[in-house]
Amino acid sequence: MIAVQTPQGARPLVEVEDLVVTYGGVRAVDGVTLSVAAGEVLGIVGPNGAGKSTLLAAIGGQMRPERGHVRLDGADITRLPPHRRARRGVVRTFQDTSEFGRLTVFENLLVAGLGEQGASLVAATLGARAQGRRTAVAVARATELISRFELDHLRDAYAMELSGGQRRLVEVMRCLMREPRLLLLDEPTVGVAPHLSEQLRHEYRRIAASGVAVLMIEHVLEVVEAVCDRVIVMENGAVIAEGSFDEVMQSKAVQDAYLG
Amino acid sequence: MSFYIATVVVIFGIDVLAAWALNLQYGLAGIPNFAFIVFQAAGAYTAAILTLGPMTASSAQTYIGGAHVPFVVGLIASMAGGAALAAVVGAFAMKRMRADYQAAILLILALILNQFVTTDTSLFNGTSGLANITRPLGSLINPNSTGWQWAYAGLVWALCAVVLFVVQRLSRSSWGRALRAQRDHDAAAAALGCNVVALKLQVFVIGGAIAGLSGGLLVFYLQAWNTGTWGYEETLAIFVSILIGGVANNWGVIVGTFLVQIVFVEVPNLLPQFGYIGLVDALEWIVIGLLWMIAIAFRPQGVIPERRVRAARLGAGAPIRAVPGEPPSRAASRPVGSAQQVPLGAAGPVSGSSEQ
Ligand SMILES: Nc1ncnc2c1ncn2[C@@H]1O[C@H](COP(=O)(O)OP(=O)(O)OP(=O)(O)O)[C@@H](O)[C@H]1O
Ligand SMILES: [Mg+2]
Repeated sequence: MIAVQTPQGARPLVEVEDLVVTYGGVRAVDGVTLSVAAGEVLGIVGPNGAGKSTLLAAIGGQMRPERGHVRLDGADITRLPPHRRARRGVVRTFQDTSEFGRLTVFENLLVAGLGEQGASLVAATLGARAQGRRTAVAVARATELISRFELDHLRDAYAMELSGGQRRLVEVMRCLMREPRLLLLDEPTVGVAPHLSEQLRHEYRRIAASGVAVLMIEHVLEVVEAVCDRVIVMENGAVIAEGSFDEVMQSKAVQDAYLG
Repeated sequence: MSFYIATVVVIFGIDVLAAWALNLQYGLAGIPNFAFIVFQAAGAYTAAILTLGPMTASSAQTYIGGAHVPFVVGLIASMAGGAALAAVVGAFAMKRMRADYQAAILLILALILNQFVTTDTSLFNGTSGLANITRPLGSLINPNSTGWQWAYAGLVWALCAVVLFVVQRLSRSSWGRALRAQRDHDAAAAALGCNVVALKLQVFVIGGAIAGLSGGLLVFYLQAWNTGTWGYEETLAIFVSILIGGVANNWGVIVGTFLVQIVFVEVPNLLPQFGYIGLVDALEWIVIGLLWMIAIAFRPQGVIPERRVRAARLGAGAPIRAVPGEPPSRAASRPVGSAQQVPLGAAGPVSGSSEQ
């Protein structure tokens, strides 16, 4: 097992310790330990089926690990359901885009912006005035984001009417509607046209610079190099290399396992 | 004739109430409640036993409890009855599971409950059900007169107006939006902070309350509660009304209910019967089944689909950039209305940098 280091002195915001996640009998994640500091972008690369998405699901709460711990800012969140993690600032995208198909682009963003308050029956009915204020903030934010990602002409389109790349953008914008502390991204630039993909890279860097920990699965090494401070390589559910992009790419294990 | 029309108007209103309740659960929240009719029956039963009076040794029928409460209390109790049963059933049926499993569980539950109530004579009086439930407001109008019929029809539709108002408010609220979001992708909704199980349980109970109310209104009208009338096929008819009228569209549902419950279920009773006894009835259900299949195959969103909620309705101003690629104009970037005071990107990491 490779000891995972964070940048000098930075206290890790996220700590994953000896995580094991199985599907039936198959160990998709087999004893992964890692940490991400606030403000850091950690890239995860590795061949198909390496267990990257499963690792993300265990951190996001979509899957229960069989063993090990996930800590956010020192608090153990291993058993917390996803919506409770979201309230603590864990936000994610999915490998298969997860747009709300029969909601408009704008509504997709509002659901994200209002989050648990929006889903609260009491807040939505009895607290109508406060909800109105929250909605106004979310509306302003959504309007600005939609413009930034050049989707103004589609703001009233149903998400199911969008192209694959546009759906990806909506998913990322939903994350940006929130105030994440930990952002989990599963192949977040797949299908996005070059200039917007470029913009997304800046967006991730900017988010990290504001103190958010970012964990990003990415196959495109160019993106990994441009965005990630540190990279881990997974294979067969385990971390086989860890370090800066250059270090990792030169490691023998990676040359053998990943780059062939 | 006026008497008959009033009957149809009453039944139509009650069916519309039921369809709105199911539309909240299925259309808005995606819960395939194939046990729907059970919650209507529960409301009806609650209302019946609370007005039949306490059971005495000479009572010809058996039931649970028994009291003499005023009509209004009976109606409120019918809502409570439907809601309470929904809370109990929802506590296990609203757990995270695949929608097709959920549909199967609810359908089986409906069949078991119907079987149980029909067979058990000590609690629910078996197939005989309950009779002699007194019509309300009898002291004001002769309950067998046409006048009473129309008065009751007015009451039913007044309640429809109230329920429509509530249902529309709920559907358009942020809560309704969260429900639609989890309907479309529950994992994503949860990952954005929505407690999906709580959302579904809440809408299930609210739907149960409205179902119960419709049952209460029905039992006071029919003066009887009969297990035979609460079969699962009644649920199918309500589903078809929604599928035809418009999933998650409460106005469309009125149209769908009219087509299914009035044109296909009521009108055939007026037609001259032909063939052997029960043939028309059977054909009726065949037609409803066919309508279901046609609706699903050709227009799964219904004739009048869910209304698109435009950003402008949510208080958003004109798009910052009307034409993609055009540089943002400062003046247009300020949203109108209540959002005006809020500086763009006031909170969190989204702030600033609209200049790309
Ligand atoms: N739902 C599932 N049921 C059973 N096994 C699964 C399931 N999802 C993934 N697996 C298995 O778990 C392992 C890891 O899958 P995972 O999706 O985490 O890989 P990945 O690294 O994200 O791959 P990719 O780059 O292709 O997305 C694979 O061997 C896969 O076959
Ligand atoms: Mg994956």
